[in-house]
Parts: sequence; structure tokens; C-alpha cells
Amino acid sequence: MPSNKNLTFKLFLFLISTDFLETFTHYCFKRSAMPQSGFQVLNIGDALLFAKISVLSPFLWLGLLSVLLTFVIWSTILSKVDLSVAVPVASFSYVFIPLVSMIFLRETIGPLRWAGIMFILIGVVCVSLSSKEKEVSAQ
Amino acid sequence: MKPEMLFIISLITVASIFDTIRELILKTAINSLKIERYTIKNIIAFILKLIANPWIYLALLFSTFSLFLWLFILTKADLNLAFSLDSMHYIFIAFASGLVLKEKMGSLRWVGTVSIVIGIVLVTLS
Repeated sequence: MPSNKNLTFKLFLFLISTDFLETFTHYCFKRSAMPQSGFQVLNIGDALLFAKISVLSPFLWLGLLSVLLTFVIWSTILSKVDLSVAVPVASFSYVFIPLVSMIFLRETIGPLRWAGIMFILIGVVCVSLSSKEKEVSAQ
Repeated sequence: MKPEMLFIISLITVASIFDTIRELILKTAINSLKIERYTIKNIIAFILKLIANPWIYLALLFSTFSLFLWLFILTKADLNLAFSLDSMHYIFIAFASGLVLKEKMGSLRWVGTVSIVIGIVLVTLS
């Protein structure tokens, strides 16, 4: 499908790379938030203290750097594809990560998770096809 | 439903709305720019035009709100539950794309989006 202007294979790979970066971002933020688990925010002072501890964590900054990189790649993608196509197709990471875990980490996938993976795959295919449909009608 | 749970759902809803607003602003700003080919030169020119656009900073502000909110949510909620509830933003994005950006949301795209949400809930809760 190299001639399809709406969702090419290259853009699809770009979308997946933003997923990986996003996963990395979430990991960094989780690491920076972990020391404060159970932290009670009752007033502005607590919120400021929470922000202060977070700002001092190197994981927060690594996470923010990853956010910036994701932002640049994501902007490039959005210049080519509809928002209502790019966002759902990016959910492919919910399929990719369990499959990679199964193949490389020998994790088992339960029937409920398989069902979820199938639903997401069907969804991604439908949304991708809908982007092609639109292009055909536009020509 | 426990009040704690209701609190988490509300926070995730707000974070999802922030994300949706951010995507809307970003997409509107980007729609005014065109990138023809992915050469290094074009991408750099595109990024320079993007950072010169004042709307982008509003989008970044919403990203920051949403990130700090997530930071807080993750200290309160289980990651599985949080991600499963976060899938509601796919629906918000779909409505916003159709209503605000006037993208053609055909039935196939709706079926796909809803299917993805069901799938994410199953994957993250299993």
C-alpha cells in the first residue's frame, strides 16, 4: 500500500514507535511516583510537596524527554493522517506488547486476553480500512 | 460504588478530556502546515514552524496537566484499572474528531473504535 496517502506502512511503523516511547514514558513516571505511593494530598502544601519530590526524581526528567520526542513524532504523523484514524491505530501496542511478552518472555496469555487482542486487531483493521475508503471517495 | 473508586474514575475522565483537548489543538495547528516528504530537511522545517505556532504551547500545557494528573492517579490506582478506564478517551477523540475537526466518521470507523475500546478493557483487566 505504498501509494495510499492516508495510512501507509511507514506511518504505521511510526505510530508503533510512539507507542514504545509512550510505554517508556509511563514506566519513567511510575518510577518517579513510586516513592510517594500512599501519599495523601489534602491541601495545596501537600500538592506542592508532591510536585517537589517528583521534580527531584531523574525518572521524571527522562520521562519528560521521552514526551518531547513522542510529541515530535506524533506531530509528524498527524500532518498525514486523520486524528480519528491515528489515535485508534496507535492502540496496536495493546496487541504488540502481550505478543512480544509471550514470544520472548514465555509469558502465557489467558483466553480473556486473547479475546481482547482479537477485538483490538479487528478494530485497528476496521479503522485503517475506513481511512482508505475515505481517500477513494475523495478522488 | 466506593467513593475512592468514583474519585479515580473522575480523575481519569478529566485526564482523558485534557488529552482530547490537546489532540484537537495539535491537529488543528498541524492541519495548517503541510509536510510533503519525510526528508530530514522537511521534518526540521516542519518542527520549526510547529514551535513558532503559539497554539502548540497551549497543547503542551494540557499535556502537562494531564501528565501530573496521571502521576497522581498512578499513586492511587492499580495500573490495570487505570489503563482500562483510560480507553474511554478513544470515544472522546472519535466524537471530537467528527464534531470539531469535521473528519468523516463512517460506520466502519465507529465499529473499529468501539471494538478497540472493548479489546483494551479485556486486555487490561485480564
